[in-house]
Amino acid sequence: MKRPSWVVLSWMVASVFTPAMSLGQDNRPEPLTVATWGGAYEESQRRAYFAPFTEATGIPIKTVHYDGGIRVLQEHLASGEVEWDVIDMIQSDASAACDAGLLAPIDPGMLAPAPDGTPAQEDFMEGAINRCFITQIVFSTVIAFDDRAFPGVKPDSVEDFFDLETFPGKRALRKAPVGLAEWALLSLSVPQEQLYDLLSTRRGLDLAARRLDEIRDSIIWWTRGVEPVELLTSGQAAMATGYNGRFFHARVMEGAPISVIWDGQLIGFNSWTILRGTDQAEQAARFIAFATRAENMATQASLISYGPARKSAQQRVGLHTDVGVPMMPYMPTASAHMERAVIRDHRWYSQTGELREQWFREWLEAGKTGE
Amino acid sequence: MDRKIVAQVVYQISAVTVVAILLGGIASLAAIGFVEAVHYLNGKLLISPYARVLAEDQHSLVVAATLLVPATGGLIVGLVVHFLVRQKRGLSPPDAILAAQTSGPAPGFPSGVASTLAALVSLGSGASVGQYGPLVYLGAMFGSLVGRLKLNLRHQRSIAIACGVAAAISTAFNAPIAGLVFAHEVILRHYSLRAFAPVTVAAATGYIVANVIFDRPALFLVSFNEVAHTYEYVFFALEGVLCAGMAWVFMRLLRVSTSTAERYILWPWARPAIAGLMVGVVALWIPEVLGIGQETLRFATIEGAFGIGELGLIITAKLVLTAVCVGFGFVGGVFSPALLIGILFGAFYGLVLPYLLPVPHSGLVVYAICGMMALASSVIGAPLTTILIVFELTRSYDLTIAAMVSVVFANLISYRVIGRSLFDLQLRSWGFDLSLGRDKAILQTHPIRDFLSTEYTAASDRDTVGEVRQRLVDDHRSEAMVLDHNGRLLGVIRLQGIVNSEAQLSVMEAIIPSFTIFDEQTSVWQSMESLRGFLGEAVPLVNEYGQLLGVVAEEAVIRAYLEIVHDLREEENEAA
Repeated sequence: MKRPSWVVLSWMVASVFTPAMSLGQDNRPEPLTVATWGGAYEESQRRAYFAPFTEATGIPIKTVHYDGGIRVLQEHLASGEVEWDVIDMIQSDASAACDAGLLAPIDPGMLAPAPDGTPAQEDFMEGAINRCFITQIVFSTVIAFDDRAFPGVKPDSVEDFFDLETFPGKRALRKAPVGLAEWALLSLSVPQEQLYDLLSTRRGLDLAARRLDEIRDSIIWWTRGVEPVELLTSGQAAMATGYNGRFFHARVMEGAPISVIWDGQLIGFNSWTILRGTDQAEQAARFIAFATRAENMATQASLISYGPARKSAQQRVGLHTDVGVPMMPYMPTASAHMERAVIRDHRWYSQTGELREQWFREWLEAGKTGE
Repeated sequence: MDRKIVAQVVYQISAVTVVAILLGGIASLAAIGFVEAVHYLNGKLLISPYARVLAEDQHSLVVAATLLVPATGGLIVGLVVHFLVRQKRGLSPPDAILAAQTSGPAPGFPSGVASTLAALVSLGSGASVGQYGPLVYLGAMFGSLVGRLKLNLRHQRSIAIACGVAAAISTAFNAPIAGLVFAHEVILRHYSLRAFAPVTVAAATGYIVANVIFDRPALFLVSFNEVAHTYEYVFFALEGVLCAGMAWVFMRLLRVSTSTAERYILWPWARPAIAGLMVGVVALWIPEVLGIGQETLRFATIEGAFGIGELGLIITAKLVLTAVCVGFGFVGGVFSPALLIGILFGAFYGLVLPYLLPVPHSGLVVYAICGMMALASSVIGAPLTTILIVFELTRSYDLTIAAMVSVVFANLISYRVIGRSLFDLQLRSWGFDLSLGRDKAILQTHPIRDFLSTEYTAASDRDTVGEVRQRLVDDHRSEAMVLDHNGRLLGVIRLQGIVNSEAQLSVMEAIIPSFTIFDEQTSVWQSMESLRGFLGEAVPLVNEYGQLLGVVAEEAVIRAYLEIVHDLREEENEAA
């Protein structure tokens, strides 16, 4: 099921290295290591940020795979050899990692102003610029379905995801306590503004667990961002949750029969961070400054449907660079998609890591004993 | 002449409109500020579940906060109320009703501010009391402040108070029509166009302010399609009756807790702290009892969130602790606890019903909402307001009609058993009885002293019957007041009784010692009651030392009654 990712990785690393080698003969600069998420997303980063950065500075970029969380950071730091420099993190993880002292501070003064001269502080979304992370994109975890699985009436809500009777078939979900509880309560018509208040109570978590019980036997778990598309296209799952950019890529670029249900989309933010203890902090900051320039952010947004976190970049989003489709309707922040969007509460997420893990573990255990 | 009248009308209309908009804005902003401050305190003091879960890595801190915050809050409330509020109790909707109905002195701005502060601490520290009572008083407080301005508007104070209250409710529930109706139903107790117009403007202003600045989730958002079976209306009616019973239980508990506090805790300022400690101890076991319980309210409308036993336990705990918190002197209302207990009871009823009567029904939501409104309307005596809240918050006709049936049956019973509302019971204990309508209550607040006449025939205890007889003939009266040398009233002499008496007889031998008498506190209502079977001309009125201050003629009592009632009818029938 998992495609060997080293093939993709080595190909990408090679393609980044080629221009660098021709440029910097003997005293070739040490490559900067960026931990990121692979697949179409990483490919868009390569084209918008990594390759142009190498071209401009001569510093090659090496990528390593990262699937979220802060435990891997702690393990990496504990190993003694700090190899990672820049990490592309979910905002709540970045916030928790920052509090745990795993990240280096970032000087917001190095962020470039907007092309029209608007200072970065005003150009970025509110709350994007922080002590040790700079939020760069808006992404969304959405429910998508295989068009072929539902030739008649199509599912169009979170309720439908939980409705195995009307919409039978396997459900692919990320094997992590992220979004599961939110969707469970949303499907019980809890308004999105109250989700995190209710999930702060034992009763709310229990209720979510009981709701998930109803689809337990139909769940296929995924861990890597590329998997949901594979599960849907191969027909293994009828519905799957996944990152909106991946579904966009599969549908628009590869013609896969996948449709997105925007109802109950879980909006999150990704942030650039610098790992504490790296000996390339200066280059890392230089990279972040480069990657957060409005023009470069717009370039990425014209390759994959993640919304840039600064206004001047949003204004530059137009047609897809390769296939020429307008990108705006695929952005999570398009107004038609926002009616029942859940904005992930990053404060809640960063403080409830253990609680969510424990809840999830207990729920998984309960399933085993039940069988 | 015509011009003068036109100018007067234009002035009246524009002044009233400006007052209404101003008050609507101020009361609404104050309500928003209050609610936000409670929210902030709940977060900082680890009362709200959200704040508690974020602090979960320091579990002992959460436990300590649960035990100490409500108790400490109680101590602060006790001290503030005892030393800064003149009435030595939290000011509440009954004070607003009294200030709007009578012309007597209102509680005063500093006391109002101190009481609001005490309410803020009560709610902020998680006491099981409600926020709408303090909000209503807050609106009334600004209203009576504006009522004092010399704007030369008729019935200025009562209309201004109603405006403030309407705006506060409109903001708090995001329901302008309910705010408008609440001000009339509970505060003004009558409908006149003169009051209706400004109160509507104030309620609308409150709603606008609330929607521009204040973007909170509504009290409850439910999705409900329709009542599936006609026979369910019978269930709704039965639910209303049961809710009236719950309201009765609540009021009994409240009375018991109030008298317990008075009997066993000598220092009034210590009472809320003890109630707070009780809340904290119970909350360790049942965290739902803390605070307003927004989350619990929401869960009650979700099928499967509670088991029947759990619900029974939470209802009991919340009922008892609310009675304890209010009875022991925490400052806060009973409306939101009544809504919460009602919705939980409704959910309980909805869960139990299928076991008792195994016929299909339309799900939990409608029963939860019916219970919520039936119980709350019995407690605050506002059936129309609660029906409109359902309508404005859900915009569902079916849900509103179902709630209406429950509310009406609840009120039918509770009105007979308890009285119109908790507010009216409180007012009655202060001597302002609205149970027979506001005429009697208002007649009770006007002293007959205002209609006193000093024109009477006096006699000394040393006078002879002949002298007094001659004096009465000269004065064209048939009654004389017999006074001692200190001006104390000894009795009355009636001409009928001395027509044939000997002239040399001392008046003391012809005196009538037992007769109807008024004092300075006698109200118009009491004077009318005591005139039943009265045969004399005028009733003497004495001060606390028994000295005669004057007399009140029978005609004056009738005149007093007619004037007051005329004023009331005029107020009720006034156009803008």
